[in-house]
Amino acid sequence: MAQRETTVGPEAGIHGRPAARILKAAKSFSSQISLVKGDREVNAKSIIKITGFARKGEQVIVRAEGDDAEQAVETVAAEISADED
Amino acid sequence: MKLSGVGASEGVAVGPAFVPRTGGSEPERTGIGEREVEAEIGRFGDAVRVVAARISETAEGLRESGNEDEAGIFDFHAEMAEDPELASAVEERVKNLQSPEAAVLAAGEEYAAEFEAIEDEYLSSRADDVRDVARQISAELMGQADSGFEALYEPSVVLAKSLAPSDTARIPKGLALAFVTAEGSRTSHVSIMARSMGIPAVVGVGDALSGALEAETVAVDGTEGSAITDPDPETVARFDKLSQALAEERVALDQYRHAEARTADGLRIEVAANLGSASEAEEALEWGAEGVGLFRTEFLFMERDDLPTEEEQYDAYSTVARAFGHKPVIIRTLDVGGDKNLPGVDQIHEDNPFLGWRGIRMSLDTPDLFKPQLRALLRAAAHGNVKVMFPMVVEAGELLAAKEMLAEARRELEEQGADVGEIETGVMIETPAAAVCAAELAAEAAFFSIGTNDLVQYTLAADRGNERLRRLQGADHPAVLALIRQTCSAAQEANIPVGVCGEAAGDPQLIPNLLDLGVTELSMAAPSIPKAKKVVSEWKRT
Repeated sequence: MAQRETTVGPEAGIHGRPAARILKAAKSFSSQISLVKGDREVNAKSIIKITGFARKGEQVIVRAEGDDAEQAVETVAAEISADED
Repeated sequence: MKLSGVGASEGVAVGPAFVPRTGGSEPERTGIGEREVEAEIGRFGDAVRVVAARISETAEGLRESGNEDEAGIFDFHAEMAEDPELASAVEERVKNLQSPEAAVLAAGEEYAAEFEAIEDEYLSSRADDVRDVARQISAELMGQADSGFEALYEPSVVLAKSLAPSDTARIPKGLALAFVTAEGSRTSHVSIMARSMGIPAVVGVGDALSGALEAETVAVDGTEGSAITDPDPETVARFDKLSQALAEERVALDQYRHAEARTADGLRIEVAANLGSASEAEEALEWGAEGVGLFRTEFLFMERDDLPTEEEQYDAYSTVARAFGHKPVIIRTLDVGGDKNLPGVDQIHEDNPFLGWRGIRMSLDTPDLFKPQLRALLRAAAHGNVKVMFPMVVEAGELLAAKEMLAEARRELEEQGADVGEIETGVMIETPAAAVCAAELAAEAAFFSIGTNDLVQYTLAADRGNERLRRLQGADHPAVLALIRQTCSAAQEANIPVGVCGEAAGDPQLIPNLLDLGVTELSMAAPSIPKAKKVVSEWKRT
């Protein structure tokens, strides 16, 4: 299992276009990937679950389990912290 | 029968009524047999693929015709249709012998309720997106009509409880003359769509709509926010005339929309927009706004259990500042009183909230509330031409105290190394006291903005919400005009500009009066801008 903590970068938080980019990144890996905030953990490949999951500036842990877990965590965390709307 | 709602898109139209009969919302079967489970899970998977492909096709079509933002909504819907969490929730239910059509509706409703529980306007409107996608999958499973618009073949007025993006996108071009919906507000999807399609819309008519569904013809007035079912010939004739006049006016006004506003003798008048939230900025620019004369900040504080952070406020203010670039954006500090509860602020019940602890009075007494707002404004000023304006001022001392707090906020931010911008401070002239003391205020203010709505109410002692006092609600009352005159001459003496924000500023009948008195900025609801620019261009100094 790999995991990494990151800060939400987009002005709007995780929704709209940033959410679509995070989803796309997550779906490009075979690993199971989840986002964790406090005691909530959601499937990163579910648009319904990640939309509105966190606001700008909040801390989110990206967690992955599978063959490409390391790279999945890197890529998804990079999208979450990207300062782009 | 007359229906009243919110005029969400201007214009008038008369045409046959069309009620889309959307499939998928009532499951045909609730339960299934144990041996059917596997086959039903397979059918659900097939339905998801068909629906997702159809939605993606719609997105592609929109993208090809240049509607990138609309296409984005459908990409989002396609992702939702294929959502793995939705699929496993449905499979779970089907394994418990629920029919897939009932299961997808129930699971969709569960997610929708989760979105609605989040106090965020954007996210709660996602609830309808989830419901809409679930309904489409359910319709596909039952082999029912998906959008209900298949039967629309002649130009019609569309009547519906609500209209989702998937509905409006599937209406063949030119066949919708107007929308009338039971639900919705000015910022609902259907309202935005109607404005971009250039057709009238009346939303939020409520339960009255159910009585109108059998109508043959409907006349819609999207400017007034009303609709008349089965109108008599005179009404139809009146609407036809209105419609023709509006079409001619729209064409004639288009040349003024993006032109710089100047009077016939060359005096520059700034014609600006009033904004109620940051999301209205783009639309205001499209109407030709040359700035923002009044950006109300109350929206940030409404419908929530906590106060907005400095960061949230900074986001909203800087979004508008950036959108307007070098054009001025006047932001009014919080103007609430006893009629609205603020979390964390010690308010007491007031019999007369409009004469109570509100606006600058509350702000000065509550630094924990005021400071973050001032800090956010100073930081936003680094991204554009931001000015700050204080509401409910009745004496120069209040302005001085507010300016002192602003200076303190600036010092703190500079010590922290934050990026802050220059910011002019102005006063809202909305109490008779402020107008009478205009000379003292002008010595300390960089600009005035006359809020005619409150100035009328306070001067004439007439509640503006009281329908029986209609005759005492106009800014053309001599007492109000005298106060405006006094304000303008004090401003001219001190060489500072005077604007008017409030309904009077967008009223073609009153604009010449205001210009006569020396007003140089007019700020109004964005759709009034082209007409106001035309009126300005025809006026000259006497």
